[in-house]
Amino acid sequence: MKHLVAIVLVALAALSTSSSHAQDAAMVEAARKEGKVVWYTSLAIPSSTALAHYFMNKYKGIEVIVNRNGSQRVLQIVMSEAGASIKNVDVIHTSDAGHFVLLKGKGLLAQYSPKAAEVFPAGFKDPAGYFYGMRATLSAIAYNPRVINEKDAPKTWKDVLDPKWRGKEVTAHPGYSGIIMTHVLALVKQYGWEYFQELAKNKLHIVQSANDPAQVVASGERPLGVNGAEYFYYKTMKQGNPIKIVYPKEGVPLVVSPTAIAKDAPHPNAARLFTEFILSKENQQILADKEGLYTGHPEVTYPKDKPMLKDLKLWPVDAEELEKRNAELKKRFTEFFGA
Amino acid sequence: MAAVTLKGLTKKFGEAAAVDRLDLDIGDGEFVSLLGPSGCGKTTTLRLLAGFLQPDGGEIRVDQKVVSSASVLIPPERRNMSMIFQSYAVWPHMTVFQNVAYGLKLKKLPGGEIAKKVERMLRLVRLEALAARYPGELSGGQQQRVALARALVVEPQILLLDEPLSNLDANLREEMRFEIRRLHEEFRITTVYVTHDQAEAMVTSDRIAVMHQGRIVQLGAPEEIFDRPRTRFVAEFIGKTNILRGKLENGRSVALGDGLKLQVVAADNLAPGKEVFVCLRPHSVRLTPSAEEAEAGRAKGMNLFDGVVQRRVYFGDANDYIVELPAQRLNLRVVAPPTQRYEAGQKIFALADPQQCVLVGEE
Amino acid sequence: MSIPGTRVAEWVAEARGLGFKRFDPTLPVWIAAALFVIFLMLLPLGAIFTTSAYTEKGLSLGNYVEVFTDPAYLKAIWNSLIISFWVGVIAVAVGSLLGWLVTRTDLPFKRAVRALVMASFVTPPFLGAFAWMLLAGPNAGLLNNWYRSAFGSETALVNIFTIEGLIFVMALYSFPYVFSMIANVCELISSDLEDAANILGANKWKIALTITLPLTAPALIGGFIVAFLHSLSLFGAPAILGLPAGIHTITTQIWAFFQYPPRLDLAAAFSVPLLIATVGLIALQKKLLGRRGYSTVGGKGGQKRLLKLGYLRWPAFLLVAAILSLSVFLPYGILLKAALSKAWAMPLTADNFTLGNFSFTFFEYSDTRNAIVNTFKLGILTATAGTLLATLLAYITNRQLLRGARYLSFFVLAPLVIPGIVLAVGLFIAYTRPPIVLYGTIWIMFVAFLTKEMPIGFSQTESTFKTIHPELEDATRIIGANRLRALKDVTVPLARSGLIAAWSFIFIGVIRELSASILLFTPSSKVVSVVIFDLKEEGQIGAIAVLGILLLAVSFLIILSVQWLAGREFFAGSRG
Repeated sequence: MKHLVAIVLVALAALSTSSSHAQDAAMVEAARKEGKVVWYTSLAIPSSTALAHYFMNKYKGIEVIVNRNGSQRVLQIVMSEAGASIKNVDVIHTSDAGHFVLLKGKGLLAQYSPKAAEVFPAGFKDPAGYFYGMRATLSAIAYNPRVINEKDAPKTWKDVLDPKWRGKEVTAHPGYSGIIMTHVLALVKQYGWEYFQELAKNKLHIVQSANDPAQVVASGERPLGVNGAEYFYYKTMKQGNPIKIVYPKEGVPLVVSPTAIAKDAPHPNAARLFTEFILSKENQQILADKEGLYTGHPEVTYPKDKPMLKDLKLWPVDAEELEKRNAELKKRFTEFFGA
Repeated sequence: MAAVTLKGLTKKFGEAAAVDRLDLDIGDGEFVSLLGPSGCGKTTTLRLLAGFLQPDGGEIRVDQKVVSSASVLIPPERRNMSMIFQSYAVWPHMTVFQNVAYGLKLKKLPGGEIAKKVERMLRLVRLEALAARYPGELSGGQQQRVALARALVVEPQILLLDEPLSNLDANLREEMRFEIRRLHEEFRITTVYVTHDQAEAMVTSDRIAVMHQGRIVQLGAPEEIFDRPRTRFVAEFIGKTNILRGKLENGRSVALGDGLKLQVVAADNLAPGKEVFVCLRPHSVRLTPSAEEAEAGRAKGMNLFDGVVQRRVYFGDANDYIVELPAQRLNLRVVAPPTQRYEAGQKIFALADPQQCVLVGEE
Repeated sequence: MSIPGTRVAEWVAEARGLGFKRFDPTLPVWIAAALFVIFLMLLPLGAIFTTSAYTEKGLSLGNYVEVFTDPAYLKAIWNSLIISFWVGVIAVAVGSLLGWLVTRTDLPFKRAVRALVMASFVTPPFLGAFAWMLLAGPNAGLLNNWYRSAFGSETALVNIFTIEGLIFVMALYSFPYVFSMIANVCELISSDLEDAANILGANKWKIALTITLPLTAPALIGGFIVAFLHSLSLFGAPAILGLPAGIHTITTQIWAFFQYPPRLDLAAAFSVPLLIATVGLIALQKKLLGRRGYSTVGGKGGQKRLLKLGYLRWPAFLLVAAILSLSVFLPYGILLKAALSKAWAMPLTADNFTLGNFSFTFFEYSDTRNAIVNTFKLGILTATAGTLLATLLAYITNRQLLRGARYLSFFVLAPLVIPGIVLAVGLFIAYTRPPIVLYGTIWIMFVAFLTKEMPIGFSQTESTFKTIHPELEDATRIIGANRLRALKDVTVPLARSGLIAAWSFIFIGVIRELSASILLFTPSSKVVSVVIFDLKEEGQIGAIAVLGILLLAVSFLIILSVQWLAGREFFAGSRG
């Protein structure tokens, strides 16, 4: 009897995988017919183009059009196009979880349950099935070891407020970057707006993207980054540039970057295929190995010289709160820092 | 007022000499024109006089003092000269009054005196009503009069004029020629006047220096230049002329060929047998259809030509004839009064006073 | 010279002769011109005015109140005014000095100097700002590093991320306008005017002060106004050098209003004063330069002699060379270095050398590839359409084929008074919603570029036709050719070089345009300038340098081809 059940189960399993294979093949075929997928993403250019190439190598004949911009800009473009009834985008991906609450609310997203995401934990999935966390990173502090030695380097978020760093710091802007938007909200909740008021006294150099501080720090232009995308700092460091990352023990903002399919996507099948791809274990492992990212996939392994998420105190941020306080966060930051 | 001496003045541009060892003595208060075709060096000479150019050789003296030489150059602003330009060069951003007052202001004269002098000068050139206008509102002739007033009001030692009338139309040019001469007679400033227009030179000058290829080829009073041109170039440049070619027989006779002999003005040092040119002005020839008149003329010693009217052009104030001399195969140009009308093909006699037949040099 | 009215009569008679009995052939052209003006200018401008005057409460001045009472916005306006004022002053000082040296003295190597000034003119200001960022960032900038290692200092020599730094860079790329205007005026001043003063007793300095300076004064003021307006409407340089230091200008603030959630009403209210100021200043400039018509006074035959600088000759040249290295040699050098390096701040050793930036830009990153294609498409399209239109319009106005042709040329030149970013705001508001939706396509950019660049093409074709005397055509027609034939056989060949010049001015203007593109682009219609801006926000220095070099190379290639084809010197004759 047990054997029979086992056989039936195996047969069922085989049937389901083979039917899913059949399903897969059909989707690939349909995607090929569509010929391309248009991707609006805030993932750094080298990473997003690399990802696009992996996909195009695997599925020959389907072009990935990468349109990369800061999270806030991506949202702006999506909203502008929607307002003008322009149907251009297939897959939307930014680092501001609040955006997806907004987009879902406006009915601009398609509901889709990718098989690959079935194993994702709750923090990486929208319960209603509209968006999924493609990657996760932290906002971290980084410094140039050629200019600042380890003894003097800041260890906590409060350390960067020290006036001795005046004229030596760089920050990215929540008006452009979703990662930084998350960072600002996390720190405001921890330390209040006084933190940023104090920080502004150090006359920071302002860049837009959370990836830009890496270049600024590595070149020595401003040797201390008070925030920034940890994965990009990591990548830049691995390329041989002088960067050291600090993961403050009191806590690090965790940024989960969702991905979703547009409701009026002109290439829906390609969009679904692409989404399956980027959430698949294979790709998520690539993201971890090559791009310095964390992922929601439980089976992905990470490089040894990166701290594991479970070893850090994480400050996650609520997507709804991000969406609600979006304008306020931008305005007050600009108030303190000028632009 | 000053006397000016140019001695051996030379100016080269590259290899070519624009002014070639030029000698000229200008008396105090004299009006001398530099007359010649474009490229003859007259403007260069004027600019050397003004001090805008430095000579490569020779010197310029004003009242015995050297102002220009290969080693000395007194700058224009210290020469106490004035200059009038072909382009008028009145400053468009200043009123007529301010233009004329400029030189006086530089001399740091008191304002009241300047105003008086300027007003007097403007009255003299008949522009007093336009003192507050800008040059942009004036005609060409008026602008040139502003330039005149501006140049004269500073009472210069020497006045230089560079083709000042070329941009004016014919009637205005005539009027201005007389104006310039009148002002000269009033003020008696030593004047050097550059032009290519011989009528201008004739009307205005005490003496004319005819220039060609950087040198002066003849210097003299207007009548002398006109009546007694020394070379073919001068003869042809000044006024219309006939040039007849022949062989000098003795001091006073030139054989034109085929038996016609021309009695000419005495030629001092030319050897008989030499080939010569005779200059005969069209105005100096008298035409008559009557054989008796012709005979009477010849008896009086006139040269007589036998000819046929080839062409007549009517100018209103004169008739311009081409008379063919079939025997000599020569054409003679004759200008006759408007009442003397002869038709083409008509037989005609031409009489010319030997005093009007002048031997001229080759060039 | 025929009386204007007779040409209209001729043309109408001709049309009648062809059978158009009661048809006025001037009508279709007027209709087309009117449509052009309405869609390209009045609609967008109208959209701005109406949007600025509407708040949630309906027609009100609420937006204006909000914009002009908020200290942050007022600071942006103040910054713009200060910056533009100083840019104007420096541009006039440098531009007129160079213009005078090149046209009136015996400065050595004049042709090279003119060519380098033109190179400064062709360099997009945002690219210059980007290069100067690499040169003079206070910590990593190459000039500062050199200074520190040479003098053992801790501090930087210069910090480009300041208002002074911004003024410096913007002046570097504004002075060519003033240079061109002053050079043109100086060429027209006959030396006789100076000689006349000289002989009356004025020495060199008195002449310069009482004669030369007043004569060029209108051009100096006109040049100041041009430089002022030009820098007022720049977006790229303030965004690159000002924003990192927290400095906003009017243009960057308008751009910020477009971030999500967009405040178009505030953007519109902010644009209106900019528009009014521009119109006012241009009217003032025309009035100044029109008065006293200096160049037309005087008779022919004035000489132009060169002033001998004497012992100042080589010092003057060194000064000129120094200025030109600031605008050309240093920035171009650093761009080249950044394009070929893995890490731009490190010395260019064999280790650091790479061609990877080139392959990334041209082959790997689809954004750049598409942008390059879009840019060339738009450039060629706009230049061709613009030249055709400009030629037709110039021909009509020059030959006075229409009644009131003078007014037509006014309308064509009108867009010059609209700053690029304001035009973009208007076009965005007007064409992002039904009935006519151009947003999201390449066509909204086409409209913006055509409107913005055609006046330049028109002024070029207009001056070209001025030099072709109508009697040349008349001579052809009296022999038996009709008007079209005369056009083809006589006018067009003679106008050829002017038309080619017009085409290239428009093309170059389009490929480097940023202040309008930055508001109107969508991912499918990106152009190179926008991509450069994007990449800068990502810190992709190498790719930016490659794109910048591409823009410059194409521009120079076009200019050289034009000079070879049309056989004319740029900057010779009327421009600007």
